[in-house]
Amino acid sequence: MYRHEGSDVFVIDAHVHHWDASTENIIHEGGEQFIRCFHDYHTAFTPEERQWSIDEYRKYSAERMVEDLFRDGHDDMAVFQPTYLGEFYENGFNTIEDNADLAEEYEDRFVLNGRFDPREGEAGLQELERQKDEHDITGVKLYTAEWKGDSKGWRLDSEDSFEYLEKCAELGITNIHAHKGPTIRPLNRDAFDVRDVDDAATSFPELDFIVEHVGFPRFDDFAHIATQETNVYGGLAVVAPMALARPRKFGEIMGELLYWVGEDNILFGSDYALWEPEWVVEAVMEAELTEEQRDEYGLEFDLETKRKVMGENAAELYDIDIEEQKEKLADDAISAEFDLGDQYGGATAD
Amino acid sequence: MAATAQPTTDDVRARLSAVDDPELDESIVDLEYVHDLTIDGSEVLVTLVLPTAWCSPAFAWMMATGARDELEALPEVTTATVTLDDHMHAREINRGVNERLDFETVFEDAEDDIEAVRRTLAEKARVSRQYRAVDALLDAGLDAAQVVALTREDIDVEHGTDDALVYLADDAFAVCVPADPLADHLEKAVEVGLVREPTDRIFATVEEEPIEADDLAHEQRRARLTGATISGQGTICEGLDRARKLKGD
Repeated sequence: MYRHEGSDVFVIDAHVHHWDASTENIIHEGGEQFIRCFHDYHTAFTPEERQWSIDEYRKYSAERMVEDLFRDGHDDMAVFQPTYLGEFYENGFNTIEDNADLAEEYEDRFVLNGRFDPREGEAGLQELERQKDEHDITGVKLYTAEWKGDSKGWRLDSEDSFEYLEKCAELGITNIHAHKGPTIRPLNRDAFDVRDVDDAATSFPELDFIVEHVGFPRFDDFAHIATQETNVYGGLAVVAPMALARPRKFGEIMGELLYWVGEDNILFGSDYALWEPEWVVEAVMEAELTEEQRDEYGLEFDLETKRKVMGENAAELYDIDIEEQKEKLADDAISAEFDLGDQYGGATAD
Repeated sequence: MAATAQPTTDDVRARLSAVDDPELDESIVDLEYVHDLTIDGSEVLVTLVLPTAWCSPAFAWMMATGARDELEALPEVTTATVTLDDHMHAREINRGVNERLDFETVFEDAEDDIEAVRRTLAEKARVSRQYRAVDALLDAGLDAAQVVALTREDIDVEHGTDDALVYLADDAFAVCVPADPLADHLEKAVEVGLVREPTDRIFATVEEEPIEADDLAHEQRRARLTGATISGQGTICEGLDRARKLKGD
């Protein structure tokens, strides 16, 4: 747990990946462009001494991931968000089955999400049921800008998509994470348009929609939708690393988010391995609004708010009782391996 | 016009300064997108490089055609050739811009009408500039009712001067306000067609409706959000630009 001013902050990193962009797995130039684009984002907002080389970045081991998140990264739990990109990567970029290995090995540490693509018709609906049956998923990550044949994307408010969302509601898959974010070559920018979330969120009040990257570059459109719909949340991936390199800008964006979207509807995510949670968590926890920003927005990014953003809001969405979870984590395999039991009130390894 | 006249570098740069990155609402000169500039008699060649190779083709198109049209508006220039370097769609854009084709001809599968995109971005820029202009007026002591009622003819402003004069109470008196925020806003308000006549109000809601005095504070918060969006995206682009330079490609 992160220790801040003498008190504990339970961190649920709501956005992580275990991906494979090794050259052997790339089957379309889009796959190479995609990982290079990720690496540019990585380089842009990572302190120089913490930057990974492109080769490290293509593929990293399960051991490294576990260390980066839980030993060094202050994460207590993490949510896997799969990204298939089957047209670009032979075995997919980051599939539910890839993630399932780690999620099953450390079941109290990871939440495993699934995915769907409404262009897959009946077979896709069956696949969604399979994911529920085999992995008991409670959330999905959706990539509306994913290529499929001639199609360069799909909309969340389409008839086909609604059929899948109905299926989610029926199966109890309530956390719908939509990647809406910065342009990623070579995906079509307009498939990242955030406005289709509005109709979907109104039509499915029993589901919660988490808009990743708080909608950038359509941040204002996202904020307007999230203001009107209580079941719309913002994921902080991409924004969180600005806390270190551009603290004033981070404060401004947090001020807007807290003002429009509200402290109960914002979720921290490192987007690992885009960024390592260690320095991102520290930067966000240390961040403060400037005096001018506090006056402007009439609010503060204080400890209570940080607790919600860093873990409590995600715990609510994923039905995690943090106190019970601490008891489980006190003597799980990761606490034993990295000697972390103490912080959860458990016995130390020695 | 003498055929031998050649534009000066200053003239050319001044023209290019009028071209903005439509998403970031900032000049392509200030953003350092102009990587090379050659003046050869009445021909001007300019090379543009954007922060990322995958910057929206529609935005790249607007900047490249904007640069071409601004340069060719100089009387000494017969031909302006624009080369976009290091962009995923450089080939298509360079051909389209220099052969004077339509965006829709070059990008047959483009889903967006480029004029609609331009209009949306210009409107966002207008709103974010309005935020700063209104803020300056409130700081200068005007009340909400005075601010929302202002028309074009109430304002005497020029870019580059320190202060603008804002006439109030049927021209009974004038208040000094910093000129730049007002001039910036008016420029965009004219461009998007919000202000056409001297008697047109200069401020409007995001939907381009007149603002009620009681709603000004709320409208300002919405406009501030638009400004945070533009500057937030600017931060992302600037980071990517830096990353690309670090990698040296």
